[in-house]
Amino acid sequence: MGLSLSINGDRATPSADPITPLVDVLREELHLTGVKPVCREGFCGACMVLVDGTPTLSCLTPLALVENCEIRTAEGLSTNGVLTPVQAALETADAVQCGMCFPGMVVSLTHVLATTPSATRDDIRAALTGNICRCTGYERIVEAALTVVRK
Amino acid sequence: MQTAMAKGSIFVARSLPDALAALDDRGPTGAVFAGGTWIMRAPIRHEPLAANYVAIGKIPELTAVTITSETIEIGAAVTHAALAAALDGLPEFAVLTMAAGRAANPAIRSAATIGGNMATTQFAAADCVPALLCLDAEVELGSPEGCERMPLVRFLAIRSTLAPGRLLTRIIVQRKGRNSAHARLPLRKAGDYPVAIVSLAISCDAAGRVATARVAIGSVEPIARRWERLEAALIGHPIEPERLAQLAREFADDFTGRDSVEVPAWYRLSVLPSLVRRAATAVLAGA
Ligand SMILES: Cc1cc2nc3c(=O)[nH]c(=O)nc-3n(C[C@H](O)[C@H](O)[C@H](O)COP(=O)(O)OP(=O)(O)OC[C@H]3O[C@@H](n4cnc5c(N)ncnc54)[C@H](O)[C@@H]3O)c2cc1C
Ligand code: FES
Ligand code: FES
Repeated sequence: MGLSLSINGDRATPSADPITPLVDVLREELHLTGVKPVCREGFCGACMVLVDGTPTLSCLTPLALVENCEIRTAEGLSTNGVLTPVQAALETADAVQCGMCFPGMVVSLTHVLATTPSATRDDIRAALTGNICRCTGYERIVEAALTVVRK
Repeated sequence: MQTAMAKGSIFVARSLPDALAALDDRGPTGAVFAGGTWIMRAPIRHEPLAANYVAIGKIPELTAVTITSETIEIGAAVTHAALAAALDGLPEFAVLTMAAGRAANPAIRSAATIGGNMATTQFAAADCVPALLCLDAEVELGSPEGCERMPLVRFLAIRSTLAPGRLLTRIIVQRKGRNSAHARLPLRKAGDYPVAIVSLAISCDAAGRVATARVAIGSVEPIARRWERLEAALIGHPIEPERLAQLAREFADDFTGRDSVEVPAWYRLSVLPSLVRRAATAVLAGA
C-alpha cells in the first residue's frame, strides 16, 4: 500500500519506495516540476517546499517522513490563480532571470514574511542563506521582499 | 536527472522502547535515521544506504530540551534550530547556541539533529562537537540492555564501532557559570562547512583571572579535540585576545591539518590564531 500524502490540499498516494527523496516523487509521479533537483545536497534550495509550514529541502526528505504532513509547493501557494504578495512583488521588481532558483526563493520568502511580518533586510538575507541564485540576482530579490514588508 | 536510491524500509518509531526494539530486530541491516541530511546524500558520496532505517525524529523523549538550575539535557533528535531556540538567552551556552544556530542554512538547521551531528564519524566539520567538548558534555547511549553514560570524548573514540541496536539518546551538560563563544570560518559568509572552528569556555576568579579554560578545535583534524596546551597557558591570566592569538600561533603545530578539495591543510592551521582571538573577544564581551 502506498503512503498517503497531502500536497497543495489534495491527497496523493505515490507508489515510490519510502526512502525516495520527496523531490523525485513531486516531479516524476505528481508532475509538480516547480521543485528542481539541482545539487541534491542541501546547498542550493531549488527543491524547497513547505512541510507543515516549515521550509524543507525535498532532496533530503524521504517520502516516509512526510506521511500525514501538509506539503505545499510553489505551485500551491496562490489561490484561484491570483499571485501572492511575494510573487507579485518579484514580478513587479522584474527579479526573475532564468527562474531556476525561484520556486525555492518564493517558498523561503513566503515563510520569512509570514513568520516575521516586519522582517529587516538582514532577516531576509539570513532566510535566503540556503537559496542560491546562479544568475546572482540577489539584490532585486531582497528589494522585492522588502516592498512586501513596507506595504 | 534522477539519482538512483536503493530500495529500503523506514520504520517511524513513536517511543524510545519502540526504536530500540526495531533496531534490535533489524540487527546489522538496520541504522538510525535522524534528520537525514547526511544519510540522504549517500548516493553523492557513492555509499550504499542501509537496508532498514529506524526514524527517531518523532520520539518525544528524544526531541526535548530540559533546562534545570544544574544541567541541560538535550534529546539526541533535537534539531539544530530547536536547540538554538531553547538555549537563547543563556550566556553560558552561547557556544552551543551559536554552533547550532549558525551552522549550515535555515532549512538544514530545522532538519539536522544534534545526535546526527555527533554520530557522523566521517564528518570532520561538525559544529556542535567542539562546542560540546568545551562544555565537558556527557552522552547517554541506549540499548535493549539499558543505558550507559560516558564523556563525549569517549563517545567520539567509539562511535564508529557502535554495536547495532545502540543509539545516542541524550547529551548532558552541567551548568558551571562559564562564559563561552564559538568562532567558525566558512568559505562563504554563511551556508557552507567551516574550514576551522574554535569553541571556548572560560570561568574567571574574582580578580578576573582565568580559573578554568576549555578550548576545542573542530574541522582542522578528522575528529574535533581539546587544545590542552593552550588551555593550560590561559590559567591564572586575564583574558587577553591578542595574547591568546599569539599563543595559538606558537602552539599551532599541536595540530595536523586535514587536506580536502575545499582547502589545503596549512590553511586550516593558519586561521586558528584569528579564530582564537575572535572567540576570546566574544567571551570578554559576554562576561
Ligand atoms: C548544505 C549542508 C550544510 C551543512 N553545514 C554544516 C555546518 O556548517 N556545520 C555542521 O556542523 N554541519 C553541517 N552540515 C551537516 C549536518 O549538520 C549533518 O549532516 C547533520 O548534523 C547530520 O544530522 P542528521 O540528523 O541529519 O543525521 P542523519 O543523516 O539522520 O544521520 C547521520 C548519521 O548518524 C547516525 N545517527 C543519527 N542519529 C543518531 C543517534 N541518535 N544515535 C546513533 N547514530 C545516529 C545515522 O545512522 C547516520 O549514520 C551541513 C549539511 C548540509 C546538507
Ligand atoms: S536540490 Fe535540494 S538543496 Fe539543492
Ligand atoms: S534567476 Fe537564475 S538562478 Fe536565480
